[in-house]
Amino acid sequence: MADQAPPAADLEPEVQRVGRSLAAAFPSGARHPIRNLDTKAMELATEDAQLRSALFRLVDVTPATRSLDDLSGHLRSYLSEVDDRPLPVDTALRMANTRAGRRALGIAAAAGVRHMAHRFIVGETPAAALGTIRAQWKSGVATSLDLLGEATVTQAEADQYAARCRDALETVSADAPHWPSRPELERDSVGPLPRVNVSVKVTALTPLMRPEAPEVGRDDAARRLRPLLRLARDLDAHLHVDMESLDTLEATTELFFELLDEEEFREGPSAGLVLQAYLRESPGQLDRVLDWAGSTQRTPPLVIRLVKGAYWDHEIVEARQHGWRPPVFEAKADCDRNFELLAGRLVEARPAVRMAIGSHNLRSVAYAIASSRAAGAEDRDLELQVLRGLGDELAHALAAHGMRVRSYCPVGDLMAGMAYLVRRLLENTSNESFLQSWREGAELEELLAAP
Amino acid sequence: MSQPPFANEPILELRRAPVRDSLIEALSDLDARLPLRVPVLIGDSPGADSGLDSSDPGTPSRAVAQAGSATESDAAAAVEAAERGRRTWASTPAGERAEVLRGAAQRLRERRLELAALQVRECAKPWGEADADVCEAIDYLEYYARAGIELERGRELLQVPGERNTMRYAPRGVAAVISPWNFPLAIPTGMTAAALAAGNTVVLKPAEQSPGSALMLVEALHGAGVPPDALNLLPGFGDAGAALVRDPRVNVIAFTGSSAVGLEILRAAAETPDGQDHVKRVLAEMGGKNCVIVDSDADLDEVVPGVMHSAFTYAGQKCSAAARVLVHEAVHDALLERLTGAIEAIIVGQAEDFSTEVPPVIEREARDRVEGYTRTAREQGRLVGQPADVPADGWFCSPRLAWELPDDSPVVREEIFGPLLAVSRVGSVEEACDVVDSLPFALTGGLFSRSPEMVEYVTRRTPVGNLYVNRGITGAMVARQPFGGNKRSGIGSKAGGPDYLLEFAEPRVVTENTMRHGLVVE
Repeated sequence: MADQAPPAADLEPEVQRVGRSLAAAFPSGARHPIRNLDTKAMELATEDAQLRSALFRLVDVTPATRSLDDLSGHLRSYLSEVDDRPLPVDTALRMANTRAGRRALGIAAAAGVRHMAHRFIVGETPAAALGTIRAQWKSGVATSLDLLGEATVTQAEADQYAARCRDALETVSADAPHWPSRPELERDSVGPLPRVNVSVKVTALTPLMRPEAPEVGRDDAARRLRPLLRLARDLDAHLHVDMESLDTLEATTELFFELLDEEEFREGPSAGLVLQAYLRESPGQLDRVLDWAGSTQRTPPLVIRLVKGAYWDHEIVEARQHGWRPPVFEAKADCDRNFELLAGRLVEARPAVRMAIGSHNLRSVAYAIASSRAAGAEDRDLELQVLRGLGDELAHALAAHGMRVRSYCPVGDLMAGMAYLVRRLLENTSNESFLQSWREGAELEELLAAP
Repeated sequence: MSQPPFANEPILELRRAPVRDSLIEALSDLDARLPLRVPVLIGDSPGADSGLDSSDPGTPSRAVAQAGSATESDAAAAVEAAERGRRTWASTPAGERAEVLRGAAQRLRERRLELAALQVRECAKPWGEADADVCEAIDYLEYYARAGIELERGRELLQVPGERNTMRYAPRGVAAVISPWNFPLAIPTGMTAAALAAGNTVVLKPAEQSPGSALMLVEALHGAGVPPDALNLLPGFGDAGAALVRDPRVNVIAFTGSSAVGLEILRAAAETPDGQDHVKRVLAEMGGKNCVIVDSDADLDEVVPGVMHSAFTYAGQKCSAAARVLVHEAVHDALLERLTGAIEAIIVGQAEDFSTEVPPVIEREARDRVEGYTRTAREQGRLVGQPADVPADGWFCSPRLAWELPDDSPVVREEIFGPLLAVSRVGSVEEACDVVDSLPFALTGGLFSRSPEMVEYVTRRTPVGNLYVNRGITGAMVARQPFGGNKRSGIGSKAGGPDYLLEFAEPRVVTENTMRHGLVVE
């Protein structure tokens, strides 16, 4: 690995102290949040791989079913493949034997899936999401809106996605001036931070993304990203370009550099990229991004969001099917170590870039905070990001500590949000998940241990 | 001799720029050497090397290979050489034959960039497809090498006291391999490697459009130690193939190609003229009219890319390619709208451009045939294609989507082998299965459904040789998806599967009495 992290031994006591302090600030009951039907379902799912698969398949198919009967028919098929059925599941299966039972089961299943979706998705449209966005702002949490969509396979769909991004920028920008002042969210030591923040996905901006010909997708997406950048600049909003699977890393990175180097974007908007710590090649990718940040003539500092990465299963499966070495770390500890190493490098790279940490792992978050403080920076120079629905408790604990927090808020209808929802559910029920381990009562000491 | 377990050859990671650069360099090295000379090869002696030219379908003025055009007497001489060589090769232990085949695999591996580049030029096969073809060729050599060792062990039989029963497999003799241009290396390699692994000798007659790739295969096998007599190469036209099929000394005919030629071979091979002491065994992989069924609960986000890729990659010139989509009426309109939009996003271009999905088709006749079906589709139903013009030079066909066609339209009944996809509305998956059953072909098929019961229903009911569920329907991998059709799509066992070598061998059972004077003397 390329660079040196700050000497870990010196940081460790502060990492532990921050971690314990954050843990103590979690709302009580967060460790056993058996409040809803969906949480109960997720709990059952975590315990049994077959049940887990049945739950995902149900969530995945729900928007495509034609009737309650159709939905409960699918549920029955998925559940009947589970060998070891807990009592509630067996009851559900028996219900499906009668017409009335099927209907009741369909209603319950549809309601359960909707409930789960609402936990992760803040509204069908930006306008519908405004209430949540405003409420979060008031409670000390900024947001980034993410427009969920079906896969873009046509030019018309790419246009629609761009129009929804435009709508998000305009709708939130029109509302933002009415929000109360939140100095801790609006300024760091470099300067002001936009209230409005939208994340975009390059694969949704073009149907021409081809891993083996990145320039084709890059050029087509540029036609739609450029007007969005102009709009963000004119509205003083931040535009963040999300990173997806490795197949599109090259096109996304090149697109970002090329567009932002254009003369008209010299003074704005504020813009950001994502660095995925699970990629073995991420240290090299960071070199490349920092080189660009150092050479560009732009004035607003580049925002780099450091995350673990959300396409781990996809990358592993694709590599295995093709006989490639997986491009991601296969052991969680390797990935966690790399995350800390990259966080340390970002700390050093400021103020040429702004850094954001997107993680729900208390250890990783505490490490970033401790490492930032050790470098002598103010807390407001570190942004901490969480996912809506998964990291809400962490967000509030961080806000209570006076940290600058942003919640990543997906917007879209259930159909469009399905892929996102399934990924979040996978994450939430994975045995490797930090949140899951904590819920199951793992010792804090163990959870905060250096990877 | 123990072999490491089989694993598929990894395809190139084309998403990496340095990998793409290495291919571009290989193509420019190849271009400097064109045209390749491909002689008729009979035993030790190279024969004629002119009379047949292959050209670049994207730039027809570019000559790729200058090959010999084998005559009927070349065919006879090649079979005679193979006859001469059969005893030596048959008596070589399977382990040694396997080492030779694996040596040939290694030779292909070492030249893989060049081999892919040759397909880009000779067959206008886009890079990803060309590379996958080379990997498949390597896989066949590795897989059948191991299968040959397994075959030599014979089968276990029931044993009772006083007798010893053995079942072994002997080579059939001389195999005629007649291969197509659309998998210019993988398919001739598969049929040739299987014949050799089972101890037969081979006369290879490759398609006249792709003699260059066939030469590379023969060079690799000879270089690795296949005796000259055991493998002969007959570049040439149909008459050379026909002479081979008629030759009474040929024991096995392995053919992949069109239905018309396949059926012709089956008829000719059924003849048993005086002096021919055996009945010929024929393996034929022929046409298809492959349907993808889309259920009402399908995930259209996966259907669109899966269908587009299956129908249009390599301009639809794969036997496994999707020709029809049978869509449940509940999602028909939504899917049709997305498919018509997606067809505009397909990239048509020269095979050497990494972005190309639809390259030119193989030759002028192919383009004219596809254009003929396109006219019929326009007259009988609705049709959309790309608004942009296709390149003027080269045998390009614009990718097209047709719908609202009558049930008896040739567009929905016949194999087109080009970038024309027909969409039909069905009331249910059951009705879609009726449509599939009504076709004479049964090669590949697809189903997009999220209902386990529907998946099971179609699995039980559909006659196709290879059914793909919730994914594209092309890209069968050796040992993972043994490949081959049923009904009029083909006869013989599945290529790249555990039974394939049996086609090239004849079983022999020996029962020995082990009692002597009332005692068992085993």
